[in-house]
Amino acid sequence: MSDTDQTGPSGPYPPTEAMLAEPVSPEEQERTATELRAAWEAPRGWRYFTAVNNSEVGLWYALTAFGFMLLAGVLALVMRLQLAVPDNDLISADRFNQFFTMHGSAMMFLFAVPMFEAIAILILPAFLGSRDMPFPRLSAFGFWCFVIGGVFVMGSLLFNSAPTAGWFMYPPLATQDEGPGSDIWLLGLSFIEIASIAAAVELIVGALKCRPPGMRVNIMPLYAWYVLVVGGMILFAFPPLIAGDFLFELERSFDWPFFDPTRGGDPMLWQHLFWIFGHPEVYIVFLPSIAIAAMVVPTVARRPIVGYSWIVLSAVGTGFLSFGLWVHHMFTTGLPNISLGFFSAASEAVVIPTGIQLFAFAATLIVGRVKMSLPMLWIAGALAIFTAGGLTGVMLAIAPFNWQVHDTYFIVAHLHYTLFGGMVFPVIAGVYYFFPFIRKKMLSERLGRWAFWLIFTGFNVTFLPMHLTGLLGMPRRIFTYPDSAGWGWLNLVSTLGAFVIAAGFAVFVWDLLRPKGNQKQVPRNPWDAGTLEWSHDVPEEYWGARSIPHITSRYPLWDDPKLVERMDAGRYYLPDSPHGHRETMVTSVIDASPELVQRVTGPTWITLWAAAFTGGAFIFPTFHMYPPAIVSGAFAVVCILYWLWTSTARPPEHDMREAGLGLRLPTYASGPKAVGWWAVWITMLGDATAFASVVFGFFFYWTARPDFPPEGALHATPGLVALAAGALVASWALTLGARHWNGAGRAGVARAALIAAPLLAAGGCAALILSVQALEPTQHVYPAVICALTVWVVAHGAVGIIMQLYCLAGSLTGKLTRRYDADLWNITLFWHFLCLTVLVAAAVMGLAPRVL
Amino acid sequence: MTTRLKQTDGQRKLRDVEIVMKTSMAGKSRRPISAEPGRPRARLAPLVALALLAGCDGRQSVLAPAGADARVLDSLFWVMLTGAVILWLLVNGLFFYVMRINRGAMSRRFADGLIIGGGVIFPTVVLGALLAWGLSIMPDQRAPGEGLTLRVTGEQWWWRVEYWPEGADTPIVAANEIRLPAGQRSEILLNAGRVIHSFWIPALGGKMDMFPGRETRMSLKPERAGNWRGQCAEFCGASHALMAFEVVAMPPDDFDSWLQAQAAPATPPGDAAAQRGARIFAREGCGACHAVRGTEARGAVGPDLTHVGSRLSLGAGTLGTTLEDFETWIAHTGAIKPEVEMPGYDHLTTADLADLAQYLKGLE
Amino acid sequence: MQDERQPRPDEERHEFREEAESLWRITLAPVAWVAHFVTSYGIVALVCAKAPGLLGMTRGGLGLATLLALAVIAWLGWRAWRQWDYRTTGDYTNARGEAEDRHQFLGHAAVLLALISAIGVVYGALPVLLLETCR
Repeated sequence: MSDTDQTGPSGPYPPTEAMLAEPVSPEEQERTATELRAAWEAPRGWRYFTAVNNSEVGLWYALTAFGFMLLAGVLALVMRLQLAVPDNDLISADRFNQFFTMHGSAMMFLFAVPMFEAIAILILPAFLGSRDMPFPRLSAFGFWCFVIGGVFVMGSLLFNSAPTAGWFMYPPLATQDEGPGSDIWLLGLSFIEIASIAAAVELIVGALKCRPPGMRVNIMPLYAWYVLVVGGMILFAFPPLIAGDFLFELERSFDWPFFDPTRGGDPMLWQHLFWIFGHPEVYIVFLPSIAIAAMVVPTVARRPIVGYSWIVLSAVGTGFLSFGLWVHHMFTTGLPNISLGFFSAASEAVVIPTGIQLFAFAATLIVGRVKMSLPMLWIAGALAIFTAGGLTGVMLAIAPFNWQVHDTYFIVAHLHYTLFGGMVFPVIAGVYYFFPFIRKKMLSERLGRWAFWLIFTGFNVTFLPMHLTGLLGMPRRIFTYPDSAGWGWLNLVSTLGAFVIAAGFAVFVWDLLRPKGNQKQVPRNPWDAGTLEWSHDVPEEYWGARSIPHITSRYPLWDDPKLVERMDAGRYYLPDSPHGHRETMVTSVIDASPELVQRVTGPTWITLWAAAFTGGAFIFPTFHMYPPAIVSGAFAVVCILYWLWTSTARPPEHDMREAGLGLRLPTYASGPKAVGWWAVWITMLGDATAFASVVFGFFFYWTARPDFPPEGALHATPGLVALAAGALVASWALTLGARHWNGAGRAGVARAALIAAPLLAAGGCAALILSVQALEPTQHVYPAVICALTVWVVAHGAVGIIMQLYCLAGSLTGKLTRRYDADLWNITLFWHFLCLTVLVAAAVMGLAPRVL
Repeated sequence: MTTRLKQTDGQRKLRDVEIVMKTSMAGKSRRPISAEPGRPRARLAPLVALALLAGCDGRQSVLAPAGADARVLDSLFWVMLTGAVILWLLVNGLFFYVMRINRGAMSRRFADGLIIGGGVIFPTVVLGALLAWGLSIMPDQRAPGEGLTLRVTGEQWWWRVEYWPEGADTPIVAANEIRLPAGQRSEILLNAGRVIHSFWIPALGGKMDMFPGRETRMSLKPERAGNWRGQCAEFCGASHALMAFEVVAMPPDDFDSWLQAQAAPATPPGDAAAQRGARIFAREGCGACHAVRGTEARGAVGPDLTHVGSRLSLGAGTLGTTLEDFETWIAHTGAIKPEVEMPGYDHLTTADLADLAQYLKGLE
Repeated sequence: MQDERQPRPDEERHEFREEAESLWRITLAPVAWVAHFVTSYGIVALVCAKAPGLLGMTRGGLGLATLLALAVIAWLGWRAWRQWDYRTTGDYTNARGEAEDRHQFLGHAAVLLALISAIGVVYGALPVLLLETCR
């Protein structure tokens, strides 16, 4: 990056008190406000749906997720009616099975995870005094993917063709299931998983690179820490499930027998892959919700949080430990006791950081002078419920006890206690707490209390008896039970409770939706909180922070009484938008020193189109309509390329920008200083995890099955595998070379490399396909795994080729130059990972069968 | 719905059968548990009372243990529950105190100490101890069997059961019912036909999943003679809810003679009705799926019916075993058990059904 | 950053500069836990599937691995403790927006993560200690 030396930040930093005390003239304030307002104005009319700003997308996201939650809740009510009395025949077994499958799937995939993403997108930039997320269009794309996938999956209920195998889709039941149910689940949710990973990338980059100047890691809001940890968890948790989905769908569509024991497959692999995702998932849902509590508690205690470091430890520690728990969902699968023991141990260990978190809240309340509020009431309810769920969790972590209650209503009770206490209650607390921030109105205190007591009471009436129901032997997921079992009265009580919960939600929804036009706008900081989001203007402005402040403490609104006034005056950074662009500030990871003014993208239809075509690529295969799926996929690629070409890493009109307070910042960066590079890096980490999961599958079969590889099996042709590896590695080397030559000003050589590299890559992919041509993946799991690895590498190779050609086109048209080479840096990073993937795949395909 | 009416009949009948069998255990399992002396449940009286209220007839209850494994887990549960209740009260009491009773600022030292003491030291010690206890329980659970081996296969939605007495080279085949010698640990090998199931008898011990193509094992040791209910615990499709089975533990001598009787071929039909029934059985092709040893019927797709008349339930714990139950089941399988593979024989005349029932009921 | 300001004396100190820090460093102790966990689980799974007879030896080896993991975590913890510098500063919160506080905060967080990782490793060693067979 030698050529950016003259274009680095310059000017005084950090700002002195004298600089900050200097007033801004009213004319200047007026001028800059007008500029800023024009740049951030939301589109109107039909074009409203082209909005990509975090305040719009986050709100849509939250409302959609909440809508799915209500639908899934209705399913639960119908199930409770069916189970209210013994031998009931209100709904058929098949419908009941569809309902419980969709209840679980929707609550997890369409409510809990998206709701975290929604809330984080909505409020994280405000916590960080940032204008928007770093990649607004990516958020919008993720949101539209989520809507399309969610409607598709939920819609299957209307056609009586919803999946029926339970939300963890165990094969062989799910693979053998006739009808499109399992495919709908798989493809619909894979699509949504991709949206989640997109959100994770966005949030991690947001928390690391879009903090306000001066907000070092030791003073960033705890919410940002949680988001960071949870983003990292998504990155490592979702890919194994995506890998599992990949194998599962290959079995469903092409009869490759990954989970079919008659042909060497093993249903246990799915269980491993699913729960490696599934348990961290619980914490992915829990941590960001408890993060809301970490924001509410200090406000209520009217003092800074006690044990900030402890809570950071708790979040990071939980993030790690949560990956060592997955087998506790598989305690009854007959694994060796000693293996179960490791997971029992980790499951107990994870209780400790979780407990620390709660005690840090208690400590804050002890030291503070508590002023109770409605959000805190919900937090208190959450704690009461969550601690109960946590304590039954401690019991369940003891493997032998788990053998008794696993798959019973005891589990149903436990998981609802953890999720209501760990997610639903804190999120509702968050809604009450942040509603004045989002809508500039208050929710009703009276209705809020009604909703709380109805939901809290109803919840305990519903789920407390279920512990006993389970201990009395009622398995989960049964659509009926005989009178003689003696579970009738307990189930009746649970059903009554469920309707009390529903009544509570009705009150809550009414409170949210009732017209509030007459209500006067709220004061700016109604709770007297100390964090930056409460500096936002009332009435609302779309720009987020009027000017981006310099931050020196954890609770800037408490510690710096002049802060808001100076922000309003536009005293701080980026108070204007001289060229009418949407911009936000990019700062360094550890100390948040200003690095860059990042131009962020504005309203567009293209994200909607891209999502629609991506949706087609996932939805058509559900009905085995492959040609339209391929066409749709191609259109999706075209849309995404258009979107990238027109709006990302374009050479700026001006290299430097007066950022305010005398600071001049560059407007373009490539390599590790650019947010795009971080995004690629993070995405590829997830991609590598998914690939590692497929490779894990190979070695899993080797340990678990005696006939892997089967005797006399055909292997991939070693010569061709070596050739493929050589060609792809050469393509990688040329890509790296292209970056180097381009940076050295030798554009011609770089272009030549970018012509040769895709040719080599294509040749490598072809050689790899040829090497496995003799294999018959439907015969046995061994050729199937080898072919799956081939598919994986070839698909990535194809993406790599598109990237190389994109850069070639950029170089030829002047989008990519010696100075503006972010695209080349980003694709080189992709190729680093691809090179590693190729080498591992080649070793597994070519060497492992001989070594084993 | 027919099932509902039949079920109560079935249960009543079940008790009758037990009495007929003179195993002197009928009713014992239904005696209120509190009547048994020397049980460690003085703690948490109200909760226990509540549990007993529901669990006293708990033929499927974790809280009414009758097996060596289940008993250990029962004690484990009560200890953990006591601890959990105390801790819940302490933690939430603390929150209530600081939010409602003493809202003023208290000592920072106390707060920091609370995080270290309550958040780290106390849980580390308590959880470590609990973990060590839990781990040390594991080797004794599911210890190797002491003679009899059962091989149970989970089918769609019934249980294929094979008894392998020590040294046997061919199994004694039965279905949908587990009989075990009391006071003795029996080895149980588990498999599955098409999808995953889970084998669970709460009164005797923990559950174990059954996989297609992967054998799992467990063992059970009933402490006394008695009759309980087991059920599939892993969701396995449409009729998962209707995949249960009766469990009978018998004094070892009774068990041996019972097993001997099971090994014998079927009793030939006695009266004229039963003989007609046998002919209908053959005519309708029932033998293609079901085996009745000693006859032409050798099918292995469905449950072995050689001694179906002596079982305590029909349709894998779904119906009783009166003649009426037989008729209902044969004529309306699909209505009783959704998506079951056996077709309903509702084209048979009432008389034919009655004869067929007579025949099957006679296969004792 | 081009400085027109007066650098604070503590910021001149080499160890506080931003480039010397990394968020990755606080995750090293948990990574040691991960390594211990994956090794234990992986090796036991492999041994029990392929050669149950070797479990005795494996348990011994895993015992050594546990000691190694604890030693690594202890070393990381000690380093982090020095970075936190609590005994000199007595600062328990590190709540100011200065390089020194950030530096010590990262040390503090790393100490605590080392503590939790050590507990995790000890718990993870219990099954190896208490269970003797592959059954």
